Amino acid sequence: MSTQLLNVSSLSAGTEDKPILHGVDLAVGAGECHVLMGPNGAGKSTLGHVIMGDPAYRVTSGRIEFDGADITELSADKRSLAGIFLSYQAPVEVPGVPLYSFLRSICQMRPELKTTARKFRERVGAIADQLELDQGFLMRELNVGFSGGEKKKIEMLQLLLLQPKLAILDETDSGLDVDALGIVSRGIQAYREQVGGALIVITHNTRILERLEVDRTHVMVHGRMMAEGPADLIADIDAHGFERFEKCEDCDGCPKAGDAQ
Amino acid sequence: MAEKDLAPELTLERVNVAPAQTWNRLRTNDITLTVPAPGRKGDVYFSLPRLFEGVECGMGRAVTDWVESQAKGARYVEVPRGERREEAVVVTVGAGDVADTGVMVRAGAEVTIVVAAGAGEKDGEAGTSASLVRVIAEAGARVHLHEYVSVGTDQQHLESVGISAARDARVDVHQYLLGGGTVALGFACDLAGERARVDLGCRYHAAGAEVLDINEVVRQRGRKTRSELSYNGVLEDAAHKGLRTTIDLVHGAKGAQGNEAETVLVLGDDVVNKTLPTILCDEDDVAGNHGATIGSVSPEQLAFLASRGLSRADAEQLFVQALYEDALMHAPCPEARAVVNDSIGDRPLLNHESDDSKGVCPQLNHSEEA
Amino acid sequence: MSEERRRTQVADVDRSLYDFTKSEEGYERYDDGLTPEIVRAISEKKDEPEWMLDMRLRALELYHAREMAPNWGPSIDGLDLDHISTYVSPRTKQAKSWDDVPADIKDTFERLGIPEAERESLAGVGAQYDSEIVYHNMREEVAEQGVIYTTIEDALHDPTWEPVVHEYFGTLIPPTDHKFAALHYAVWSGGSFVYVPAGVTLPYPLQSYFRLNAAGAGQFEHTLIIVEPGADLHFIEGCSAPKYYEANLHAGAVELFVKDGARLRYSTIENWSKNMYNLNTKRATIGADAKMEWVSGSFGSHVSYLYPTTIMAGDRGTCEFTGITFAGATQDLDTGCKVIMNGADTTASVSTKSISKDGGVNTFRSSVVIGRHADRARCSVSCQSLMLDDISRSDTIPAMDVHNATAQVGHEATIGRISDDTVLYLMSRGCSEAEARTLVVNGFANPVSKELPMEYAVEMNNLIKLEMEGAIG
Repeated sequence: MSTQLLNVSSLSAGTEDKPILHGVDLAVGAGECHVLMGPNGAGKSTLGHVIMGDPAYRVTSGRIEFDGADITELSADKRSLAGIFLSYQAPVEVPGVPLYSFLRSICQMRPELKTTARKFRERVGAIADQLELDQGFLMRELNVGFSGGEKKKIEMLQLLLLQPKLAILDETDSGLDVDALGIVSRGIQAYREQVGGALIVITHNTRILERLEVDRTHVMVHGRMMAEGPADLIADIDAHGFERFEKCEDCDGCPKAGDAQ
Repeated sequence: MAEKDLAPELTLERVNVAPAQTWNRLRTNDITLTVPAPGRKGDVYFSLPRLFEGVECGMGRAVTDWVESQAKGARYVEVPRGERREEAVVVTVGAGDVADTGVMVRAGAEVTIVVAAGAGEKDGEAGTSASLVRVIAEAGARVHLHEYVSVGTDQQHLESVGISAARDARVDVHQYLLGGGTVALGFACDLAGERARVDLGCRYHAAGAEVLDINEVVRQRGRKTRSELSYNGVLEDAAHKGLRTTIDLVHGAKGAQGNEAETVLVLGDDVVNKTLPTILCDEDDVAGNHGATIGSVSPEQLAFLASRGLSRADAEQLFVQALYEDALMHAPCPEARAVVNDSIGDRPLLNHESDDSKGVCPQLNHSEEA
Repeated sequence: MSEERRRTQVADVDRSLYDFTKSEEGYERYDDGLTPEIVRAISEKKDEPEWMLDMRLRALELYHAREMAPNWGPSIDGLDLDHISTYVSPRTKQAKSWDDVPADIKDTFERLGIPEAERESLAGVGAQYDSEIVYHNMREEVAEQGVIYTTIEDALHDPTWEPVVHEYFGTLIPPTDHKFAALHYAVWSGGSFVYVPAGVTLPYPLQSYFRLNAAGAGQFEHTLIIVEPGADLHFIEGCSAPKYYEANLHAGAVELFVKDGARLRYSTIENWSKNMYNLNTKRATIGADAKMEWVSGSFGSHVSYLYPTTIMAGDRGTCEFTGITFAGATQDLDTGCKVIMNGADTTASVSTKSISKDGGVNTFRSSVVIGRHADRARCSVSCQSLMLDDISRSDTIPAMDVHNATAQVGHEATIGRISDDTVLYLMSRGCSEAEARTLVVNGFANPVSKELPMEYAVEMNNLIKLEMEGAIG
């Protein structure tokens, strides 16, 4: 019996001029692994960003609870310190900031991760090796000039370093070749084993899930949760696609864009 | 300038000035021109509606005043709301002509304006020509402006343009400056309304002892306005070029973007090439970019072209050639084409006179040359 | 290290590390304004050769005759020379040991970290307080190699060096250059004379620090550096002043002669107080195969006109200019550089950054002039401007004047702000918004700070942090 870690209830949100999420519910217990699937443009990434606290989106109704506290109004950094991690689909480049000093400073601001310079160096080195990331990368500028695969590995490096209670992986598998996918998958596995944190995997590709023991699967279409089920649902979607969810059997007429409220 | 000529003259001191200036000792902030100014006492001539006085023009107030005092009468064109005017508004100026044109493009209307300066002029004929074009583009209007300038080596031409663009108006500008004793061009565009946009392409060529002086200013006042300015020129012999461009990102122009790029090919040992690409920025939510490359034909390019049988001189002329062909290809009307053809006539070097078989003829046959 | 920490803490508590004043009591202070009498008095006090007095008097006439160009950048209307004292001197002799420097002045430089830096990483130090150098010293092993590091006043009293000063002084920046150059030559006082003999490489930098303590006064130091063929020098210049509500003026001149095959790196961290008019002129001329490197950080002053100039006279010379300017509230900083390329196969690269916030105004102004004979000269200019809010301003005015067909010139400029995406990405990893912004700004400044000597890089990062903390919350 796991305790509730994340509880998203009746959440509606969108950008200034466009509603995207409509009354979304999502509950994730501590240490659980959830998969969020859905066709392109369903609002999966938006949900991930809203949980992280991206100010580009406005929550119009509903609430987000994390670890027993209401975080709906909390800024992204506070959420991060509270234990939420979002792996970006397209990690942002920050010129002039060396990766290593970035990693050092984001660890030093967390009391539980504070450590001596020497121990930190060893830990980062070990994780980099695990991810087959050349240590020379650590001296380069954050995400600047890295390939897509390298950027994703650097996201995994931060995941393993920060040991969050909940990690949201936003299409971490997209654009990776087979080798990189294997390494990233192993990184996710290591996070599950070493940290025991909960996971929300956003994907429309099931390969990355092969090595994971999935607890629940959620299907999102047009900004609504259309189905929820056990791990088996993945195989079902793999075989039949999303079409049957798009029909939205018993809703009272499909929502048109613009009538979120 | 013909000294014997006792006709009254006027010196236009430091005109074509950029909004922000640099060290005066670089002599790149402005140009001083002497122009004829016969008295017009007793003449009645027609001026544009007052509205046009508020339009900032590239060469500045002094030139506007002089043109207004010299033009035989202003020409006013109005394109009614929502209408697409098929026939281009063509302004042709020859030696001694001074034209003052105002175009009102009502909401949603579309117009093509062509300035053709210098066609049919004979070399050795001294004189000054000038064209002032002011355009008011209302919301959603579309303006296509083509400027073709090539005057004689003893002549000077003043070309001043001012455009005011309202919400969603789009302006595209195609400038071909193909030489002349002194050519001074000023262009100002006020992107006053939201999402107004200007796309400007300027191609120039100057050779001999020609002087080319360009001042272009884009004021971005409206939110999400956009400017794309591109310059591409070739300078030969002892040509003297000054190019000042200013992108002014005015406070309040949230989401505005301005880009400017210049490529100059310098082929003459006595060329003077001055560039002052300015970005003024009074707003944080904007993006302003500028890039310039000045140089000769690169060794890599030369090696490649040599492998296809072109000597250095051939290769260099290829770039000049390309410019004239581009001008011809994009000429929107016979008057503009005539300017280019006359200009080519002035420059026999374009036609590899010793080798007809190459068929490098800048007429409108677009077959790729060997 | 512990010193570094202490400094940070002082800085964090007391907003300005530089903002402390010492009493002027007992100082020699000449009347405000500018008259031939004042100029004569300065010259007499320094017991100068006749030619120097003549030069001062001629310069004074030029100063009164010259006008400022009407179309120039920031206004200097707030500057009233009639109310600025051109000469203020503490009553002390120049010392060779810090123990001989009066206690309050010594305390000032200790708080600025100068004696400590001297012990750890410098080959020599000069410290100027108001109009006079109060301390000058150089390591013996450096002196043994024939390196001269002294004040111009002392060099003028030395029969060996007086002719050298006479030969070079005022030739690179003539008094006719502009109005404030003329002013400088009329009333100059203090500064440094450096001579590095041919082939000598200094193992550590020399550093001069200029402190203007007096209110309503001017500082007009002159730096003259001669680096003979094949020699190598790194010279560091630091400046600061406490804040007053009346205008102070800094109109120094820096003349650098870098001979064939020599190298000079000239680093400056300028943190004048925000009542300072910094109208400084710096110029270098470099020979064949010589290298000039400028590293420049401008943080202070109310108004600055600062455009270090490099004249590349010889063939194959190289010039690198790396600069950052940070303009905050009430600051209008017009900075940049000039490069004049006359030699063939010369190379110049200019990279500048500017940060504007709280209504501060930055103008980047440069000129690249490529002369007729500079065959195959190559120059690249890159200028990046960061806007931290919508009430500040950043203008970029780069001029290029090319007279040679084989030269290659490239220029790029960008202006923008910190993107929301970047801030959010950093916040999603636990940085507060202020930390995220500081991180981005430090990253932006990093290419410049890494060119600075260690203690200055730390200082610069602290400065940016201080400025940023003021900006948020």
